[in-house]
Amino acid sequence: MRKLSPVLARVTLVVVLLALWEILTRLSSVSAILIVAPTTILWQMVQILVRTSNVPDFYTNAWLTIVEILIAFGFAAVVGVLTGMAVASSKAIGDAFEPILLVLYAIPKIILYPVIVLMIGTGPATKIVFGVFVGIFVIIFNTAAGLRQVEPDYRRLAHSLGYRGAKIFFKVELPAAAQTILAGLRLGFGYTIIGVLTGELLLVNAGLGYVIDWASVNYYTAQLYALIVITLAIGVVANYVVGLLERRWVR
Amino acid sequence: MTSAQARKYLPLVIRLAVIAIFLAIWDLVVRLGWIDPLFLATPLDTLEHLVPLTEHAASDIGITLTAFLSAFLAGVLFALAIGFAIGLSNYSRKMLLPLLALGVTIPKVTLLPLFILWFGIAQTPVIVFGALSGFFPMVINVLTAGGEVKPNQVLIAKAMGFGPLQIFRKVTLPAMLPVLVSGLFYACNASMMGVFIVELALARHGLGAVVHDLAVTFQTADMYAAVLLTASITVAINMALWYAAQYFGRWRN
Repeated sequence: MRKLSPVLARVTLVVVLLALWEILTRLSSVSAILIVAPTTILWQMVQILVRTSNVPDFYTNAWLTIVEILIAFGFAAVVGVLTGMAVASSKAIGDAFEPILLVLYAIPKIILYPVIVLMIGTGPATKIVFGVFVGIFVIIFNTAAGLRQVEPDYRRLAHSLGYRGAKIFFKVELPAAAQTILAGLRLGFGYTIIGVLTGELLLVNAGLGYVIDWASVNYYTAQLYALIVITLAIGVVANYVVGLLERRWVR
Repeated sequence: MTSAQARKYLPLVIRLAVIAIFLAIWDLVVRLGWIDPLFLATPLDTLEHLVPLTEHAASDIGITLTAFLSAFLAGVLFALAIGFAIGLSNYSRKMLLPLLALGVTIPKVTLLPLFILWFGIAQTPVIVFGALSGFFPMVINVLTAGGEVKPNQVLIAKAMGFGPLQIFRKVTLPAMLPVLVSGLFYACNASMMGVFIVELALARHGLGAVVHDLAVTFQTADMYAAVLLTASITVAINMALWYAAQYFGRWRN
């Protein structure tokens, strides 16, 4: 007998697990408040997407979350890459800032969350700032590391070819570091999504966090599962698209 | 001072200057009234409140550390068991790695309402969510670490008459250790995040709850002291693991 390809085996495993989940939920007497079957979730997702569900203003809230994520990532990307460049620009500055950045990196960002709420309030800005905080450090680190890895020989060669200053940076150093920087941006995007959604789930006053909380406190369990699956799917699709873009740019 | 000495101390001077400027700005924005003291306490106020707060929060520190340690250990042990079991065959590794990698990237915090629905509002959801957060990065590192073992070296060891246990101790483990230790660093950070998120959300026990209560009652200086205390504890633990990872990384080369 030939073995299944790993991809096919993976799909089979997921299908079997979903089928088991479906059968066990239908057969057992576990309350529908705790667990609902996958087909129920799927049906509820369809209803939410065509707006026949009772979830309040789904599209407005989902859109808000997506906008928050995009703004937070744009900010984290620009400031993160620039900070990384500054850190890599000289050995003295790099040595000076590295320990500070490392300590900031080692703090679980979540404990700064109440500080941000206290200083900025409970609006979208809080979630954006928190998303930036969670996402920016890996972007800074990868930018600095990528620029430092550039072979000094490249720089010397460019210099002997008559390139100077900014031209060396944009024509030689930046392309040579691009792969590491883009990897940092991809990881940073994933972290930013996690940061913004953490803010949403803790504040629960707007966005997908709000509708999830609405379903949760009203014990609309099917809606709750469906909204969670939709939110996770947004995260997975966004990460996948950014991964594709990264591979495309690296080539 | 010679120029070589100057170059050696320059980073330290820049670093201290940056920290001093940061503290000065922090102090001035409150003193000059640009930010209401209701929302931001001065550095000195924060420091003054640190000791009384630590005494006040002693039991919550214990609760958080216990929850974190249980979550971290459970997540790591589970990841080691699953990781080694899957890593035994190349086939199961190829099949399951993408699913486990998905576990790292998806925003698990979205599942929080479900965890509360299933596990209630005592310490169980805190520990389960912390363990799950630490599990995924660790299991990925266990599987990556398995790839560090060179089949040739295992073959040579076998030819030299080493038993399975000896091969594990002398060949497999040393090759895997650096990646495993850096996995511990990521798992630790993720576990802490997980524990604090649930503590903040439930606002019942632990340091997360202390910070939450102080914030909503506007005991600002105490809250900043609590954040400083929590940050110090977590940074100490994380940095210890970071240096351990660096040490084992060098030790391999």
